[in-house]
Amino acid sequence: MPATDLSLRSAVDVLYSDHHSWLQGWLRKRLGNAFDAADLTQDTFVRVIKARSALDIREPRPYLSMIAKGLLIDLFRRRSLEQSYLEALAAMPQEQLPSLEEQAILLQALMEIDRLLLGLGPRVRQAFILSQFDGLTYPQIAERLGVSVRTVNNHMAKAMEHCCLMQIQLQLS
Amino acid sequence: MNLPAEELQAIRMAAQWYARLHSGITTDADRAGWNAWLSADPLHSQAWQRMTAVAEQMASVPGALAAPTLSERHNRSRRQVLRSVLLLTSASGLGWLGWRSQATQNLLCDYRTAVGERREFQLADGSTVLLNTDTSVNVRFDGRQRLLELLWGEILVTTAIDPLQRPFKVITGHVEVLALGTRFIVRGQAWGGEVAVLEKAVEVSLSAIGSRMRVEAGQRLDFNDRSLGTLRGNDVSVGAWQKGSIIAIDRPLAALLDELSRYRNGVLRCDPVIADLKVSGVFPVDNTDLALAALESGFSLRVTRYSRFWVRVSSGDQR
Repeated sequence: MPATDLSLRSAVDVLYSDHHSWLQGWLRKRLGNAFDAADLTQDTFVRVIKARSALDIREPRPYLSMIAKGLLIDLFRRRSLEQSYLEALAAMPQEQLPSLEEQAILLQALMEIDRLLLGLGPRVRQAFILSQFDGLTYPQIAERLGVSVRTVNNHMAKAMEHCCLMQIQLQLS
Repeated sequence: MNLPAEELQAIRMAAQWYARLHSGITTDADRAGWNAWLSADPLHSQAWQRMTAVAEQMASVPGALAAPTLSERHNRSRRQVLRSVLLLTSASGLGWLGWRSQATQNLLCDYRTAVGERREFQLADGSTVLLNTDTSVNVRFDGRQRLLELLWGEILVTTAIDPLQRPFKVITGHVEVLALGTRFIVRGQAWGGEVAVLEKAVEVSLSAIGSRMRVEAGQRLDFNDRSLGTLRGNDVSVGAWQKGSIIAIDRPLAALLDELSRYRNGVLRCDPVIADLKVSGVFPVDNTDLALAALESGFSLRVTRYSRFWVRVSSGDQR
């Protein structure tokens, strides 16, 4: 093992033993439960290890809490999406309800689509959803949103470009 | 991401063509233009393939599920769907057996539903009451007040505006709930009660100990005959039974089975080993066998039927 890897590893060890319980407490205060806090604490350190940044950290606690904050936002977003999803499922006719396995696969697929849409403006997002998922024509969307057909067309082009770039980026990472 | 400028440009154009071809009012000229563009440069067809990949990902989910799930959640959804519902859950401190001993009284009540049944009734003032499974209610309207007495079960009440301006109350056990909103649900359970408000507010009072609390929209409050509990936030599972579903989000299996058993006759037992298994999903209450089958396949559980009325759920790993 090269020397840098060794020192990186001991830096992570020190970081972990010095700040692990502080971070877990910090997260528990925000999440209100110990299980999620323990999970996110673990995830935070995994991020640090992956980024190989442990040697460069000057102020460990602000750094750790910055990563943890990002993970918190992800978690809340996933929970909120899951709630909307379950609600949409509940509104479906009973005999069309997918099996639990399909329910889980669909949720995963929706979370991935949601990640592509992240960063789109609300109007663009709405136009895109109305076209792609509700199957409305641009004139129908234009009427619904109170904008011109041309604007709807521009929203769609923008959304597709955005999703395409996000897809490429996620495939690379 | 470091894509060459020409490639980024090709992606932008591909997106514009995609938009133009999916307007619902595409012309032959559009299609011809797209064809010409596509064959003009290998970069163009490469960029078009990327559009196809995006479209394929979007098509991996039924639109009827994707549209409501992905629409901006803070503006609509949950709140809008359930806004008009004011939920009250309640019980007496008598316990399950105590409640059950009132069975004869239940038979004499004004409105009731059988296990697995859901029915709506219209009241004299134009208000409606939806009874969930296995529910008994008395209605006592007079010149001073509109009063519902929940003997057992769960109801959703939609109050009409009263020309006589009589207050609308629900009583269950020793707890009285004064409706300040228009719709609400009351439920009777052995462990205690709960009030959840989705529109405006209610006032919950326990006169025996002089306790009184206001519950606002989006909140719920549990209680028993001795005390009022603490306020918590509502989630989507609240009131899902109106549409015939139970929504579970990381719910312990035993609690989910308890809930399911309200909708079916007989005994539904859970192996203690898997009682704490966390389960998520939407389960139909109108066909609980279907719900059990979903659990069986989705979580590798084993459902053993000793008879139609005695069902045990255990881990599928056991030999």
